[in-house]
Amino acid sequence: MRKLILASVVLAAATATPVLAQSGSTTGTVTIDGSVAPRCLFTTSNAIINAGELAQAGTGASAGKLDASKLDGQTRTLVGWCNGTASSMSVEALPVVNTTVTSAPPAGFDRVVNYTATATANTVNALDSSVVAGAGSASTVGLFTGNVTVTLSNSATPGAGLLVAGAYQGETRVTLSAAN
Amino acid sequence: MKALMIGIAAAAGAMVPGTALAQTASDTSTGQVVVNGNVARLCILGTPSRAIVDVGQMAATSGTRVGRIAVIGDQSVTLPGSFCNFAGSALTVEVTALVSADASPVQPGFAKAVNYTATASNWALSPTAATSAASASGATPIATSTGVTQPAPKIADVTVTVSGFTAPSDALLTAGIYNGLVVVTLGPAVSGGL
Repeated sequence: MRKLILASVVLAAATATPVLAQSGSTTGTVTIDGSVAPRCLFTTSNAIINAGELAQAGTGASAGKLDASKLDGQTRTLVGWCNGTASSMSVEALPVVNTTVTSAPPAGFDRVVNYTATATANTVNALDSSVVAGAGSASTVGLFTGNVTVTLSNSATPGAGLLVAGAYQGETRVTLSAAN
Repeated sequence: MKALMIGIAAAAGAMVPGTALAQTASDTSTGQVVVNGNVARLCILGTPSRAIVDVGQMAATSGTRVGRIAVIGDQSVTLPGSFCNFAGSALTVEVTALVSADASPVQPGFAKAVNYTATASNWALSPTAATSAASASGATPIATSTGVTQPAPKIADVTVTVSGFTAPSDALLTAGIYNGLVVVTLGPAVSGGL
């Protein structure tokens, strides 16, 4: 009867070994987080349109008035990108103004040329008329990289009058706004 | 104290990413297309309402002044829609006396020239007038006058009035066809300009 008890102890020790072998591996995890903020950037951000003489030549009834062909159809290409799916584009057209003569013109004359500027990016258009101050409505361009073409149209003077002689300058601003 | 610093660092760590996201969410980029142009100085005179002024018979055919210059009424010509698109312009009037085409010498007591005054108005503050002073033989028939400066761009109907017809020394006028000329020039004033 005493021998039987000892045998039982040995058996208990033997069964302990398989339990240790089962818990020998485990897994640790390193989580990598990052982010890319929505962003837009013009990589070519400036262009110039030199329209030359803005008034019609000759001696006819329209001589001295705006030659609309000098601005209408003028196109320049900027280059940029946006990485946010909800990115937008807006345009602000500033009128072409006589910088030589800044005083109000007499009756029958104009010193301002208004126009519409249309920017196209990712086959989406945004436009603005210089008649109304401020930028036009923004259009969603989303993700894109490439050309942003700016085209002028509908040029006209406020009073359809004669243009005051001098140098003229205007500007079209295209703003890309990033969003996701 | 150390525990407090850790706590601040933790708070900052929690806030900075949020701030960064707010900034990038409004990230914008602006491109510019500059439009340049110019308008050259330009003056244009309208087409004269009368290309030719015919005063008809100039010598009196009866009365005490028979053979001498008659009263010739003022003649008016309009140049509509004349303009200069710059400040500092002026009108110049050049007149050539009416002179007979007859080349034969003028005999004493006779004249083959008729002088007159041409006045261009409705441009500057005061009109521009030139009066011819040809001799009886028709010599020195041309006179010129430049008016005052128009200080602003202007569009107007310029009126040219031809008046004051006289013969040198009120002599008898020789028979023949007389021709004269008025030339009006609109351009930059000598001291004017932009």
